[in-house]
Amino acid sequence: MNKAAELFLGILTAMGGFVEIGELTFTLGSGVHFGYQLLWVTVLGTVGIMAYCEMAGRIAAVKRRPVFSLIRERNGFGAALLTLVAANAVNLLTCAAEVGGVALLWQLMTGWPYRALLFAALAFFIVVVWLLPFQWIERVFGLGGLLMVVFIVVLWTMQPQWSEMAAGLLPSMPRVESSRELLLWAYMGVALLSSIMLPYETYFYASGGIEDAWTPSDIVTNRVVVLVGFALGALLSVALTGLGAQYFGPRGIEPQLPGTAALAASVVFAKIGLGVAALGLFFAFAGAAIETALSAAYNLAQFAGWPWGKSKRPREAARFSLAWVVVFVAATAVVMSGVDPVQVVEVSIVFSVVVLPFTYLPVLLVARDKKAMGEHANGWFANVLGWFYLVTLTIAALAAIPLFLLTHGGRG
Amino acid sequence: MSERPVFDPHHDVLDRQLVDVNGTFCGIVDALEFTPTPQGPVLTALWVGPDGWLPRVPALLALLCERVVRRHHVSVPWRHVREVSEVIRLDVSAGALGLGRADRAAARWISKLPFS
Repeated sequence: MNKAAELFLGILTAMGGFVEIGELTFTLGSGVHFGYQLLWVTVLGTVGIMAYCEMAGRIAAVKRRPVFSLIRERNGFGAALLTLVAANAVNLLTCAAEVGGVALLWQLMTGWPYRALLFAALAFFIVVVWLLPFQWIERVFGLGGLLMVVFIVVLWTMQPQWSEMAAGLLPSMPRVESSRELLLWAYMGVALLSSIMLPYETYFYASGGIEDAWTPSDIVTNRVVVLVGFALGALLSVALTGLGAQYFGPRGIEPQLPGTAALAASVVFAKIGLGVAALGLFFAFAGAAIETALSAAYNLAQFAGWPWGKSKRPREAARFSLAWVVVFVAATAVVMSGVDPVQVVEVSIVFSVVVLPFTYLPVLLVARDKKAMGEHANGWFANVLGWFYLVTLTIAALAAIPLFLLTHGGRG
Repeated sequence: MSERPVFDPHHDVLDRQLVDVNGTFCGIVDALEFTPTPQGPVLTALWVGPDGWLPRVPALLALLCERVVRRHHVSVPWRHVREVSEVIRLDVSAGALGLGRADRAAARWISKLPFS
């Protein structure tokens, strides 16, 4: 197996989690409203998602057990069923937002009607996922997502305020003038953390490791893939926050459309910059749509014990294949109803934080179990990280919905 | 604190993946069937299906689920269990036990599509 090619699983997972349409909105928004003050949340979330994806990937390599199979075994049927319903609701809503985001990008480039482009996006996704083997999905959308690096170059060219950026990497009390702003700061922080640690990243990553036939000899590969993939995702996230702080904020632009970020690239690199940024956004949104649709199908199949896997022919995993097709169709129907994709994903991200502790607890319990994992069980460092993030996420989960209501979904 | 017994069906069998003799995934163990004997209860079958999992969900959720799913189950005799590990391996095919019917029906339909 070509170990370097495995990097694309990490890059695709990270792109789908870090720079999907929701994260794009929250990172740009946090930059516009609070400058670099929330940068430390990106660091906090990145280390958390690295820790849990590494554990889930290690379990997949050693035990060949995907996350939802562990959730069912460790949480019991009732709690696992509720987690499945909530996780797949988040998958569906996020997929809907990404399908809508792709159609909006195409509309930006062609000027064709949005609804017709939604149908085109649906057909595109079904044909691509039906025809391409899993490894090619990883490579095409992982590699294409790398075009997003243009945002790092753009920020670099804009000469960011390095000292402010460095100060933002450390947790600090917000510089706000009213309790309303304080609530908005807390809401942005929780939403940002949730958008980085989205549960579907772990489901997809572990299932992808099994699709790629990982064995215990791939444990080091798993670690490298997680570190490189998510570090790159985090860098992009920092760059987007910087663009919010340096470019959009001072001009009073509130990035509400998914293509807004590409405007910053056009300022520095003119048409070429706009084209590369738009293409990068397309691959990132499309990667996230595929990641969420497949995640929903993985979850369902693993919960019910059906044959699953994109590496199988569709007829060999029939209900799994039908499941991801149904998710794409339902997701398109959601955005076809006229709702704003960005609003859809904002809601789904806030609610996904509630699912996180139920997803990560079974992963931690198995990864630290020496009887189950033998010499590959967590060391003290992974255990400390695991428990720290479980407590942090539980607090965030309790705060998420009240903050969403108090800030009217971040609108103050 | 006492050690867990060497073999505990509730821990080692319940909610585990069933794999048939051909290596095909064919459901999850939803419930265990015990038969009373003079020596104590003996595990005689594994249940797959709503009859197995409905009693395990909170009452309100069970009421809701009963409206959506048809009550039935497939009973897998314990004598067909070949190995208990991360998964439960059987010594017969899923079809012989009546498991995976919906998958086979869906596969027949999907086979008619191109590149399936």
